[in-house]
Amino acid sequence: MNRAPVLVVGGGPAGLAAAARLADAGRAVDLVELRPALGGAYHRRPIPGVAPWPIGRAGEARWTRLAAGIERPEIRVRLRTGFLGVDGAGFTLLDDRTTGRVETMRPAAIVIATGAVEMVRPRSGWELPGVTTAGGLQVMMKETGRIPEGRILLAGSGPLLVALAGQMVAAGRPPAAIVETGDPFAHPIAGLGLLAHPGPLLEAAGHMARIFAARVPWRRATTLEAIEPTDAGLAVTLVDRRGARERIVVDRVALHDGIRSNDHGFPEASPTASALPFVAWAGDCREVLGVAAAEIDGARIGEEIAARLAGAPIATTSAIRRLAAARQAQDVLARVFAPARPPTPIERLPRETILCRCEGRTVGDLVDLLEGADAPGGREIKLSGRFSMGACQGRFCAHWVAEAAAGLRPDAPPPTPHDLTGRRWPSRPVSIAALVASNSSPDEPTRPT
Amino acid sequence: MTGGTFSWNGRDVAFRAGESIGAALAGAGVDALGHDPAGRATRWFCGIGACQNCLVRVGGRLVEACLTPAEDGLVVVSADVAEEIDR
Repeated sequence: MNRAPVLVVGGGPAGLAAAARLADAGRAVDLVELRPALGGAYHRRPIPGVAPWPIGRAGEARWTRLAAGIERPEIRVRLRTGFLGVDGAGFTLLDDRTTGRVETMRPAAIVIATGAVEMVRPRSGWELPGVTTAGGLQVMMKETGRIPEGRILLAGSGPLLVALAGQMVAAGRPPAAIVETGDPFAHPIAGLGLLAHPGPLLEAAGHMARIFAARVPWRRATTLEAIEPTDAGLAVTLVDRRGARERIVVDRVALHDGIRSNDHGFPEASPTASALPFVAWAGDCREVLGVAAAEIDGARIGEEIAARLAGAPIATTSAIRRLAAARQAQDVLARVFAPARPPTPIERLPRETILCRCEGRTVGDLVDLLEGADAPGGREIKLSGRFSMGACQGRFCAHWVAEAAAGLRPDAPPPTPHDLTGRRWPSRPVSIAALVASNSSPDEPTRPT
Repeated sequence: MTGGTFSWNGRDVAFRAGESIGAALAGAGVDALGHDPAGRATRWFCGIGACQNCLVRVGGRLVEACLTPAEDGLVVVSADVAEEIDR
């Protein structure tokens, strides 16, 4: 039996739960996390001397459980270590940011537990300094206990904006306003579906109570159309449900249009055990179901991999039923926060709107590229158009570029985001120096001392 | 590990123990981190190392400011500054 360690990629709830279950089964685990601390997005740990953000009793119990679960000799936690990919022979490349070296290992199996990334719809000015994602602002707050100075506007859609606003109010720094594209109160029947999920509902109710008590304007059915730098700050243009425009000036804008799986560049899950490391995905990177489901899914995948490696049958658990309940809750939330008006199709945004920030490619560039008889496919859009070609490897633009290309050429087969990004290592940028310095001998022990 | 100061484009920036370079810069009121190869201003955006928009240069290497812990005496410059700036 292959006694090499199982590699778990990502130190959030799914990764921690998977590692604990693998260790329960007697497996050695290498858990790699890119940040200097475990926790993931929801359970982001504060720096020393800063109190954690209040996340409620259930959340605190979850973190206690997850942290305790990995305190065992079978699990080696490697912080500041990134996963770069796995080659055809099953060798895995790890980027150790502390030593500046790339290492190879040959794990028995790989659990990809890299969570979610936020979606931010392109709009004029989204690329400016002072504009962050809402989650990006939230992790900074959780980590440092500080909220950056100035008037902060939260805009886009979804429950994260409400949670972030509630946390800002609790910290004594209410946001200037919340601008929500959906109209949550217009869906009372759909909202009733949330009654089946009291945990998230109670959390949301707490945030809402704080937001209303602090009189934070919650502009529903309203879209942030554009951001413009001025001497007085960032001037944002809002469009309400009747199409009326309003300009307000703030210092910072936090954007958020939902989340999706952080799946770029990672090896696909293996359908069956093979000579190569068995690859499985767990948590939000497999399916976006939220933090509670990520723990359930991680535990499920940990047990499943342990059983597969031991050649044992995979036990039936309640996990599938509990994941189905989480999926239903996500569906209800999607209906409650559905856009009140159809968003402007990406391809009809002003020509100068940035689509691919890394390469500075605009809506106009894409329109020009797709004009003419032979519409380029996804790969050509990347290679000749330079869309999704930059350092973020298309994480923030490939979906929008694919959507816009499909809208511009309804006659041609629609490109997929993966046509643009590809699915190959390195899954994240790595310095050439670190690669050159990697231990290239494939016979090195999998746990170098 | 304790807090301290690092050099940002020649200017001292204080940080607390465990803070990332990006969070310390935000605390010091620095939003624009430099320019990318296309000449566009860079900034803290996603906070999780995915967007590559907060790249800065430490010891000649590009690193994500949001992921990289600040260290006392570290010399950090904008990604588009080729030469290290002495303190």
